[in-house]
Amino acid sequence: MKTLLIAGILAAGPLVLSAAAQPKSVTPFQQHAALFLMKCAKCHTIGGGRRVGPDLRGAVDRHPHDWLIGFIMDPDKYLDSDPVAKSLLADNDGVRMENTHLTREQVEGLLQFIKAASDAPLPAPRTQSEAPTEALAFKVRMPNEGMHPSIPGIVVLLLILALAAFLWQVGERRGSAVAVVLALAAAYWSFGGRRYYHLLGNEQGYSPRQPIAFSHALHAGTLQISCLYCHSGAQRSDVAGVPALNVCMNCHRSVHQLAGESGTSPEIAKVLAAWDGRDGPKARTIPWVRVHHLPDFVHFSHRVHVANNIQCQECHGPVQKMTQMRQAASLSMGWCIDCHREGPGAAPAHWKRVGGPLDCSACHW
Amino acid sequence: MTEEERRRFEEQDLKESVSRRDFLKIVAASFAALATAGCKLRPPKEKILPYVEQPEDAQPGLARWYASTCGGCSAACGALVKSRDGRPIKMEGNPEHPLSRGGLCARGQATILDLYDGQRLMHPLSGGVQASWTALDAEVERGLAEAARAGKKVRVLTETVVSPSLQAAIDAFCRRHGAEHVVYDSMSCAAIIEAHGRTHGTAVLPHYHFDRARAIVSFDADFLGTWISPVEYTKAWTSNRVPDRDGLMSWHAQFEPRLSVTGANADLRAALKPSEQAAAILALGRLIARERGWKGEMPPVLPHSLDESLLKRAADKLLAAPRRSLVVCGSQDPAAQVAVNWINDLLGNYNQTMDVCCPSFQRQGRSGALEGLVREMERGEVGALVVAGVNPAYDNELAGRFSNAMKKVKFSAAVSERQDETASLCAVTAAASHALESWGDARPSMGVESLFQPLVSPFFDTRPALESFLAWAGRPASAYDFVKARWQREIFPQRKEFATFQAFWDESVRRGAWPTGLVEKPKPAFKADSLKGFSASPKPSAGALEFVAYPSVALFDGRQANNPWLQELPDPVTKVSWGNYACFSPADAKRLGLEDGRMVSLSGPAGTAELPACVQPGQAEGTVSVPLGYGRTKAGPIAANYPLVKFLPIERDRPGGVDVYPLSAQPAVSVAVLSGSSELAKTQTYDSMTVPFTGQTRDVARDTTLSAYLTQATAGNSAEEAASSNGLWPRHKYEGHKWGLAVNLSACTGCAGCVVACQAENNVPVVGKAEVRKRREMHWIRIDRYFKETDGPTGPEVSFQPLMCQQCDNAPCETVCPVLATSHSSEGLNMQVYNRCVGTRYCANNCPYKVRRFNWFDYAHQDLLQNMALNPDVTVRTRGVMEKCSFCVQRIYAAKFQAREDNRRLKEGDVVPACAQSCPADAIVFGDLNDPQSRVSKLARDEHSYRVLSELGVGPSVFYQVKVRNKDEEKA
Repeated sequence: MKTLLIAGILAAGPLVLSAAAQPKSVTPFQQHAALFLMKCAKCHTIGGGRRVGPDLRGAVDRHPHDWLIGFIMDPDKYLDSDPVAKSLLADNDGVRMENTHLTREQVEGLLQFIKAASDAPLPAPRTQSEAPTEALAFKVRMPNEGMHPSIPGIVVLLLILALAAFLWQVGERRGSAVAVVLALAAAYWSFGGRRYYHLLGNEQGYSPRQPIAFSHALHAGTLQISCLYCHSGAQRSDVAGVPALNVCMNCHRSVHQLAGESGTSPEIAKVLAAWDGRDGPKARTIPWVRVHHLPDFVHFSHRVHVANNIQCQECHGPVQKMTQMRQAASLSMGWCIDCHREGPGAAPAHWKRVGGPLDCSACHW
Repeated sequence: MTEEERRRFEEQDLKESVSRRDFLKIVAASFAALATAGCKLRPPKEKILPYVEQPEDAQPGLARWYASTCGGCSAACGALVKSRDGRPIKMEGNPEHPLSRGGLCARGQATILDLYDGQRLMHPLSGGVQASWTALDAEVERGLAEAARAGKKVRVLTETVVSPSLQAAIDAFCRRHGAEHVVYDSMSCAAIIEAHGRTHGTAVLPHYHFDRARAIVSFDADFLGTWISPVEYTKAWTSNRVPDRDGLMSWHAQFEPRLSVTGANADLRAALKPSEQAAAILALGRLIARERGWKGEMPPVLPHSLDESLLKRAADKLLAAPRRSLVVCGSQDPAAQVAVNWINDLLGNYNQTMDVCCPSFQRQGRSGALEGLVREMERGEVGALVVAGVNPAYDNELAGRFSNAMKKVKFSAAVSERQDETASLCAVTAAASHALESWGDARPSMGVESLFQPLVSPFFDTRPALESFLAWAGRPASAYDFVKARWQREIFPQRKEFATFQAFWDESVRRGAWPTGLVEKPKPAFKADSLKGFSASPKPSAGALEFVAYPSVALFDGRQANNPWLQELPDPVTKVSWGNYACFSPADAKRLGLEDGRMVSLSGPAGTAELPACVQPGQAEGTVSVPLGYGRTKAGPIAANYPLVKFLPIERDRPGGVDVYPLSAQPAVSVAVLSGSSELAKTQTYDSMTVPFTGQTRDVARDTTLSAYLTQATAGNSAEEAASSNGLWPRHKYEGHKWGLAVNLSACTGCAGCVVACQAENNVPVVGKAEVRKRREMHWIRIDRYFKETDGPTGPEVSFQPLMCQQCDNAPCETVCPVLATSHSSEGLNMQVYNRCVGTRYCANNCPYKVRRFNWFDYAHQDLLQNMALNPDVTVRTRGVMEKCSFCVQRIYAAKFQAREDNRRLKEGDVVPACAQSCPADAIVFGDLNDPQSRVSKLARDEHSYRVLSELGVGPSVFYQVKVRNKDEEKA
């Protein structure tokens, strides 16, 4: 019996010891960086050359501070009336900058970030694309990312211990019975149990194989493609959505292989095959496996979270580092509420007035 | 092996082995542990299938609205159809439509469910088996050619064709095959058209303008319920029914045999037997003619039992509003309609409140058209018959003769969405697409052009009726091209503001309907010599009652009989759902010894119908009335009243009601009381606001008279708000919004449009007849109807009161929930969290309004296809869960998200709940009570407003405006 107790304590020890990792607070600079990624990086780089709009390296020094603030907050007005803006418009093939609906505070922050990023030395060409990732690789707020001891996890362990105790009492070959049980406990601990001892239905850590070995680390990390470029629904709709094949083909029309390699990558070949066969009799799309799944009685709107400048990574984790997409957060109600209690971070005052996101009916209807 | 050895082996076995029981224990326990730990239970793997090429407008999860036209009936109201992820899921009113102006009736809104009806035809049929379109077209060609060779007639039979494009196609078909187009309406206005031919020389259906009328007298025309264009008329009628402080309010009298929705809303209503209707109209006409100096011959005096003083009052009101009055009549007797035209002409109403120069095209059937065709068929003269969009083998009194005569027609084709009673008699059926699957157009009245826009490609192998006729006319074309070409030819030149046709077309598709140029013509003169042909109707023989068969608000003529929403929709007046019944006046019921549900047999020369009785105040003594549209045999399982919950017994007594069309033309039936009874599926069994036993009256639905209201704004409104604030709990603070609803009881006609709107929006299940009988209907909004008996020949006074969750501030439901599944939001909503609810039903017991609904079963759609009509924005509730009106919280949040995206505050009108959106009477206003400028907060502050059962101190957020009746002083 004594041995068993000791075994139990040993087994439960790591659970108790792995206390929750305290959520790290996000510095203002990191917020500004994320804001840049969300709002600007679609069209601009800082030192990475032209994209849709001009390279913003040194932009803070090129124009007066107040002009920049005014222009970013209401580009339409400036593009219609201001001569400097008009000449910029002409330089950019008449592509108008869109209104990003930022507050003055946010624009100030953005300018600080652009200034800081401009002042940083230009990275070597090979690592150029990685540099901004580094700058943005702040610790996202993942309240549940650490190991939490959970009640079901403990219950399972207690059940195993109870089984061992039962066998100790009943069985004749005590030694082998207990060995079997401890082996079971060990197996549980090493296969999955370590990761999946949470609540039933909690999918944290779920990372199914996808039909195409698509790497977010490559696309969002190395290549710096904005999340909203592919998941544009997150801005407009409740559902972020998986990009349609034509979005993939915007690049993969010409990109068939990793840089420096020749031929066509077998994974990209799947995209090309689906695209080429789109009008054929066997037309089919890519059957992606859903990773994030909320029950039907919960309603989550991506667009309102994006509009409130919640960064994708706050809920989805460091996607830009994930080779295979994984559910980073528990997506449990307690996890949602943790943020809702803190209130909408960067929302303007009048939004706070109508907020009240702690109501049950904010999600359950 | 020796005995000794065997014994030792067995001992060894026993010693070493774990016993079987123990082994199983271990295995089970290990398996449980492994299952919990290793093979984690997870929801089934889901796939996400993105578009290959995403259309620009298609965004998963984002709803869009497209303008179209309602295909529910020939009124052709404007519709906005909500489409989510490529699926149309809700019909709403289109505010830009010149006639319906944002309203849509219950039937129109329910057409969305017809789209997903698995009983629709999935492919063309030939001889009852699947055929290809080529084969079908060839067979039609062959059939028509054969008829021509045999020298037989070719006929096309349709209901009123409001679509000019379809009419053109039918005309082309008729020209090619030498055919004749026969039009009839199941709910006919032929008598009105014929009467206008006689009196004004122009056989048209006038376009009635109830909004211009200050005094309205209706003889059995249920224009707020089912007559011609109820949504348009309700919109127009209510525009004069909400009294201003200056006292402008129209006056409305109704004389009718049965209590209709329109009669229930009238200021003066008296029961009038059909046999005395013409006499009463003539009596009214004489009163007016005398005052207006009529020079011609006076029509004869016929006997009637209506109180002359009532007619005198109606005449006075009409005479006080010359050119601003209107007399309408639902009679099928052209002579009665002639008399009505005479009165309207005397009052100068022509081309004022009723327009014959810009007439309505909504009912064009001529009297005798169907009978003429049936005679031709019986004589064997018809060689080929094409029936499109109607069901003559069911929906008229000649159905039996028509079905028999079909045997003499060599070739017949049906253009139908369903294999209905008529289509199943035809050789071939060209499966027609639903209105939401096809392009089309409509001209419901002169000066209005409306466009049908498909929301989805046809689900099945179907073809729009327009394309079928074009193909058979030898001019195959797509409906889109054909309609577009007509619009380019005929309507585009009238809209000078568009430079190009494409710009015009884009705008047409966006707005759905156009007002087009009206022609100003002098009004035709009344022909005095047409005032003849009146004769007293014969009295029914002793023991017989006069018979009235009428279209019900829910099922109309029965074309939507397989629609579960409509079958479960309680009739606004009788409050009965599922199946029809025979209405008797309380006096007749007493005489015959009838009570609700007692089976009676109605018989006449044309047949017999056995129905449960329904005792209906307001029914004319000596009459019995029965709703039409029930008892269909080939409509599908819902019309046959199958149970919606699988293990409940099938309704064996009168599945889906009884077909009384065979009796419908009979003036009288003899009534025999049968021994059995069949409980009516009533949703309201309590008709009065007087509490039994105590005799105390609770003024839940308050009313007053116009004169009292003009003297004092608080008239009829007792200020008995709970003075004490000694609540158990602290008051809620609402710092942001505080949502509230205002319902104007003067405007609400009880039409039940909101009930279906809510059902569609909030995935409200249908429970079936057996469950409704147990008071388990699930409607989140119901319309309570109260009768107040009055002395004399008028009455009863009827009040309609839509009742939804009142979203109380001190909600009694919230305090009793043991699991906090219902709690209070910061914006004043009583939230209901389904996943937390364990179904104790304490909340429902504690609700003084009985607005909470409990899911006794899993009420899945019996027809799985109909799950496609579910609104993905609202949770589908499971068994054992309480639910109720949420003030359309999903719309509140959708509006908030949009406002946040646009970086602005929510503004008035951003949030419109489903009930308010489609209300043809504009009776419901939703908004923020914390915003002093909002309409709802102004209405809430009005002295004219009250809250139901406010004396309980629950603090509801729904404000009702006292109903004002335009009654005379002495009757106040």
